[in-house]
Amino acid sequence: MDIATYVNSMRDPAGLPFYPIVFQFLLVLTFALHIIMVNLVVGSTFLAIWEIWKRDSFGLRLSKALGRVITVGMSIAIVLGVAPLLFVQVIYDPFWYTATTLSAFWALLFLVVITLAFYAGYGFYLGNRRAEVDTAKTGWALVAAGLLLFTALFIHMLSMEQLMPQHWKEWIVSANGAVSYSGGEFHGVEFGRLLHILIPSFAVTGVFLMLYAAYFKDRGDYDPEYLEYVGQKGAWMAFWASALAIGAGFWWLGLIPQEFHFARNPFFLAGAILGVATTAYIGASVYRPQERAIPSALLMFLTVFVMCCAREALRMKHMSQAGYSIYNYPVNADWPSTILFFATFIMGLFVLYFPAVAAFEAGKVRSGQIATLDPSIGRKAVSAMIAWFVIVAGLGIIVSLKNGVLF
Amino acid sequence: MYPFWEVPFFTSGMVIALIATFHILPCHLATGAFWFTVFVERKAYKENRPELLEFIKKYTLLILIFCFVIGSLSGVGIWYAATVASPRGISGLIHNYVWGWATEWVFFIIEIASIYVYYYTLGKIDPKSHLMMGWLYAWAAWISMIIITGILAFMLSSGKWVETGGFFDGFFNQTYWPQLLTRTALMFCIAGVYAAIVASTLRNKAVRKELVRAAGLWGVLGMLAGLAFTAWYLHRLPAHAKELWLDQSLPYLGHLLNVAGISYAIVLLWFVVCCLIRPKLAGPVSGIIILIVLFLGIGAGEGFREGARRPYIIDQYMYGNQIVARDIPAKHIKAEVPKFNKEGFLSHLFFRPDKINPDNKNQLIRAGSVVVHYQCGNCHALDRFGKMRPLKRLLANLEPESPEDIEGFLDSLGDYPYMPPFAGNELDRKAASEYLFSVVVRR
Ligand code: HEC
Repeated sequence: MDIATYVNSMRDPAGLPFYPIVFQFLLVLTFALHIIMVNLVVGSTFLAIWEIWKRDSFGLRLSKALGRVITVGMSIAIVLGVAPLLFVQVIYDPFWYTATTLSAFWALLFLVVITLAFYAGYGFYLGNRRAEVDTAKTGWALVAAGLLLFTALFIHMLSMEQLMPQHWKEWIVSANGAVSYSGGEFHGVEFGRLLHILIPSFAVTGVFLMLYAAYFKDRGDYDPEYLEYVGQKGAWMAFWASALAIGAGFWWLGLIPQEFHFARNPFFLAGAILGVATTAYIGASVYRPQERAIPSALLMFLTVFVMCCAREALRMKHMSQAGYSIYNYPVNADWPSTILFFATFIMGLFVLYFPAVAAFEAGKVRSGQIATLDPSIGRKAVSAMIAWFVIVAGLGIIVSLKNGVLF
Repeated sequence: MYPFWEVPFFTSGMVIALIATFHILPCHLATGAFWFTVFVERKAYKENRPELLEFIKKYTLLILIFCFVIGSLSGVGIWYAATVASPRGISGLIHNYVWGWATEWVFFIIEIASIYVYYYTLGKIDPKSHLMMGWLYAWAAWISMIIITGILAFMLSSGKWVETGGFFDGFFNQTYWPQLLTRTALMFCIAGVYAAIVASTLRNKAVRKELVRAAGLWGVLGMLAGLAFTAWYLHRLPAHAKELWLDQSLPYLGHLLNVAGISYAIVLLWFVVCCLIRPKLAGPVSGIIILIVLFLGIGAGEGFREGARRPYIIDQYMYGNQIVARDIPAKHIKAEVPKFNKEGFLSHLFFRPDKINPDNKNQLIRAGSVVVHYQCGNCHALDRFGKMRPLKRLLANLEPESPEDIEGFLDSLGDYPYMPPFAGNELDRKAASEYLFSVVVRR
């Protein structure tokens, strides 16, 4: 059996419940959101350690603020990660499942390590929560940083193995015919690629600091000097990290098989141009971090998103070598459930407006004061949830009665 | 077939079971807790008793640290564990229910946003809006349960889906409603246990007593309702599952239910005695003991659900060894057993030895080992120290005298109500028997 027969025969017999390009778009979009959060967490963890080591009062204050970013960010990153995890299994199932079972041990170890990293993050945050104490301990942050690097390595390895179908068989079937079931395979680490994904952590965190400075600037009880410090620090960091990321990007490009002609891929070109433009723009903003924060963030998001598209294009190239394309995956379109998702998704955006406004307004008032929201915002959000419940439960009762399974 | 992953001692199935049980406590707490939280917060505002807010702060922090770390990660963990243990099974679920999970994901996002905002804005936004945030979280969390229960119920009783292939036909099936209500009742019980533990650590004595009692009342009411729903749930099990359980084909299912029942009684008793009658007795120590009891009970209950599904991993559709059991014309799916019987199982494998000469005993045994791993390894431990239904012992009980005896046994495998039929041709069967005969413990 050759590899093309294998990957194509392993497609799920049920086919896709909707058109592959829709899943592909959702995969890339949610992956971009996920990786930005991951970058923020990794960058914040390292920066928090660095700022404590510097032993000045602004640095200490910033580090404590980052403690909260690490924990909240990690939860959001995990929840955002669920979506790409789901969609990749839908359209790339033969690759995803093969690589994950080949490396089952590492896949599960990843979970243990990320759990520990999360608790280490909490250890750092809860241990240094009190603002009046003028020292901070870095122990837990160091643990978290180390563990996060391991999770990055594991996940990187799992993605790389998916791109190496030609080698799968030789990894576990030995020449004399014995088959290994250990799930301990570990192959394909490429530091150029890994660095190109990790270095932007500092760029994303830098832009986050610019936003932080801009956000708190009119609150009144934040020292303007401190905010200026944070904003400039962020801009400088974003600038240097972006420049380095471009370097790592070319390193990675050098590792990509020549026959892909990837340097001429439109997504890659667009990503590279955007990367350079973002770097230049942030470089020109280092003395005006607060007013340039929002455009910088938009540019950064766009760059990451286009780079994620390029990553997807690269994956398609690799997989076409194994005779696989998602576009000819059989489809058994299931409209009702597709509508359920998209309707819920739109409702979700509407509902999320409420916590977003609440967080935004609460952060804008001085400590000790209370922000008052328009009560209709919350009421509408909760009503939308109840309406969702009533509609779906009603649908469920109708379906159950029709199928005679209710009583 | 995807590569097979073998877990020494247990089976990969046990890894899922363990992670899944770990997941139930935090996730049911995450879904149930906020109904109690908003109840207390409302009381605090209505009766103007700010001292109750101390509880809110503590309880929410516990939920954040415990549920959102262990809960979300063990949720992802079940997914990974299912992937490595039974990739085609999870693939089958995902390719039918991806939009269900994606919909649930929207609610996850709402949950995470609302709980953090709720925690960090207590005392920073107006009480009305803050309370609304609590409601938002409570609904989002419960709706995520409404969705996942449909997928779990689908695995247990796939219902009309086998005819229509319709998302909702499989989702709202005969075990859906009783299961949803049972889980909902259970979530109040779990929320009650945690609430009682947290309340028992409050400084204000009067508040402590009051909240422990309230938590106990929620727990007792949840558990009493849960009894009725559980009875309904058991009653609605598919006929096949009931046979496995009531006809004693698989006696361990009955034992699991007994364990679950006993834990249920202990927890109920704890609520009545330690929360309602003498709130002083509730405390972190007794609470944690009760959590362990709950953990055992839930593990047993979920183990029952998984066991009663045998021989399928997805009811009617896919066997426990990931072989498609029947045609689903609406989805253009074909049963695989006839195909493998005709064309051979090994010949459809990618991860197998290239050379298989039926006259070379060593090669035959190697190939047989591959067949047996795929076809039996999901339910039986095959390694030397295996503890989970080890095949080498089970087969020894049948006292086979030769590989041919085992071939005969494989032929009759499908007659067991809890095992899938052997799928393969002459060569597969011969290879499997040679391998099995070579590992049987001889006395
Ligand atoms: C879907 C899960 C599943 C699969 C797949 C499976 N079995 Fe079983 N098997 C069971 C269960 C459950 C039992 C009952 C064990 C008990 O009574 O404790 C069992 C029992 C047995 C027994 C003991 C029977 C007896 O009468 O005592 C043998 C022998 C056996 N299996 C062999 C096999 C072989 C060989 C295969 C692969 C070709 C296989 N099983 C595949 C679930 C499975």
